[in-house]
Amino acid sequence: MDAMTPTAPVLEARNAGMVFNPGTPDAVEAFRDVSFTVAPRETLAIVGPSGCGKSTLFNCIAGLLRPTSGSIFVGGNRVGDTAGHVGYMLQKDLLLPWRTVLENVVLGLEVRGTPRRASEAKAKDLIRSYGLAGFEAAKPSQLSGGMRQRVAFMRTLALDPDVILLDEPFSALDFQTRLLLQIETMSIIREQNKSAILVTHDIGEAITMADRIIVMTHRPARVLAVHDVELGQEDRDPVNIRENPHYNACFKQIWSELGAKVAS
Amino acid sequence: MAAPPNNSAASPPPGPALAGAGGPAASENGPALKKVWPANRWDPRVLILQCAVVAGLLLAWEAAVRSGFAPAYLYGQPSGIWLKAVNSIASGSLLRDSWVTFEESVAGFLIGGVLGTAAGLALWISPLAGKVARPIIVALNGVPKIALAPLIIIWFGIDIGSKIASAAILTFIVSLITAQSGTSRVDADLLTLMRSLGANRWQTFRKVVMPATVPWIMAGLRLNVGFALIGAVVGEYIAAKEGLGYLVYYAGTLYDLNSVWLGIFALMVMALVLDGAVTVLERTLRWE
Ligand SMILES: Nc1ncnc2c1ncn2[C@@H]1O[C@H](COP(=O)(O)OP(=O)(O)O)[C@@H](O)[C@H]1O
Ligand SMILES: [Mg+2]
Repeated sequence: MDAMTPTAPVLEARNAGMVFNPGTPDAVEAFRDVSFTVAPRETLAIVGPSGCGKSTLFNCIAGLLRPTSGSIFVGGNRVGDTAGHVGYMLQKDLLLPWRTVLENVVLGLEVRGTPRRASEAKAKDLIRSYGLAGFEAAKPSQLSGGMRQRVAFMRTLALDPDVILLDEPFSALDFQTRLLLQIETMSIIREQNKSAILVTHDIGEAITMADRIIVMTHRPARVLAVHDVELGQEDRDPVNIRENPHYNACFKQIWSELGAKVAS
Repeated sequence: MAAPPNNSAASPPPGPALAGAGGPAASENGPALKKVWPANRWDPRVLILQCAVVAGLLLAWEAAVRSGFAPAYLYGQPSGIWLKAVNSIASGSLLRDSWVTFEESVAGFLIGGVLGTAAGLALWISPLAGKVARPIIVALNGVPKIALAPLIIIWFGIDIGSKIASAAILTFIVSLITAQSGTSRVDADLLTLMRSLGANRWQTFRKVVMPATVPWIMAGLRLNVGFALIGAVVGEYIAAKEGLGYLVYYAGTLYDLNSVWLGIFALMVMALVLDGAVTVLERTLRWE
């Protein structure tokens, strides 16, 4: 991996902090003094106790919320009040039930004003390359959970973002579908030269998919530790990876870091 | 090709459980589309039973009157109602009264439904207007509409206009509230998704909020069938020279209970017809 070569990061958080309702009795400090970078083609995983502020951090990166301190840069530009500069995929697939698969995949392109013919051609290509050919006209209610999540991922890819945010994208799926989607998503991200941040509370998922893992503390979240995952693409088979000594060492380390912080 | 379905199924240990994973494995074994059964398959037994129930009630009623258990001057009598129906159909008066009430209800239904739905949806587009309107809606909904009768008569006269107005007022409020509740119950994550795609408020409204609210709007219209008829009939009670409400009211003052019942049954038929029309509309707009 070329994580070592000095390239400008595609994403950078500089001392970012977020307080909801600041200065009121309802003030909630979600995260504090968070700094990290994401290199081109790097996948970063964020693990941390639930409720620590990970989704809030994503909302700030996506430009849906403004951090109350520090700043976030995507592609060298400071994230302001505009959105649409990163791909954002949430835990729920959020497919529109009245639209077909194809119409769901083109949603972002439609919002952006891409001509219908061009956006449908692009969506059909995506659908075909990722194994959902024949389902273009199906309604989401006719699909399994795994297929729905795949369609949601294609909707994200259709806008061709450089950075993709994945907020616990597989947590609602059953175990086997989750493993399949982990390798599938990971290889699509690599193949398309995307950068990604994956929020998960599944330590195994983080190690399987990411080049680097950030462990966050409980709320207000701060960066507790950063780990490099020294596994090649070929080591990341979700079954065999569990026998890899590096995987086990990494797992134990993160487990103890999370456990210590959750218990305290 | 990144992990197309055929390879991905090969890496984990193959087994029957894999097919249950849905996902790519399922698409190998033929189409994985779930079967969606038609919810309302027509069943002739339902119609037969419905007719039997109605016939049974009418027969029991007739028997109660003939046996002297229930006096006809207090309860009316199915055979008497039937005679009234035949006579007033022959003279054309039933049809004329029905048509008047039908016109008033449908006009009120359309005006109230369209304006109420538009207003309810508009309150989503402008959250400030939504906040300002909330107590006003509560007050409008809570006030007994009959209290508005003097105003309606003064503003719209005693002809068809006042009946349309009272039907429109009732249906307006129902459509306003259902449409507005529908918009406020749209999944907040869907709105987050649209913002993350860079959508503005209008795009979010057109592509997400409006279609998501359709079932609510339809539920409101269904309620409005009843409210439109209430509006028209109450309007006719207050001041009218024709219409089913007038027929019922006038016959009531004369203790002509068979005519009262005739008017009520005509209103029931009208409710069924209007409800059927809403069902047809619902089918064309439905997405579930
Ligand atoms: N709009 C908001 N106003 C106030 N508090 C909020 C808001 N959104 C989230 N929070 C709070 O911020 C904290 C972090 O939430 P979240 O980012 O969703 O956590 P995570 O994704 O790590 O589970 C939680 O305690 C939550 O209650
Ligand atoms: Mg979260």
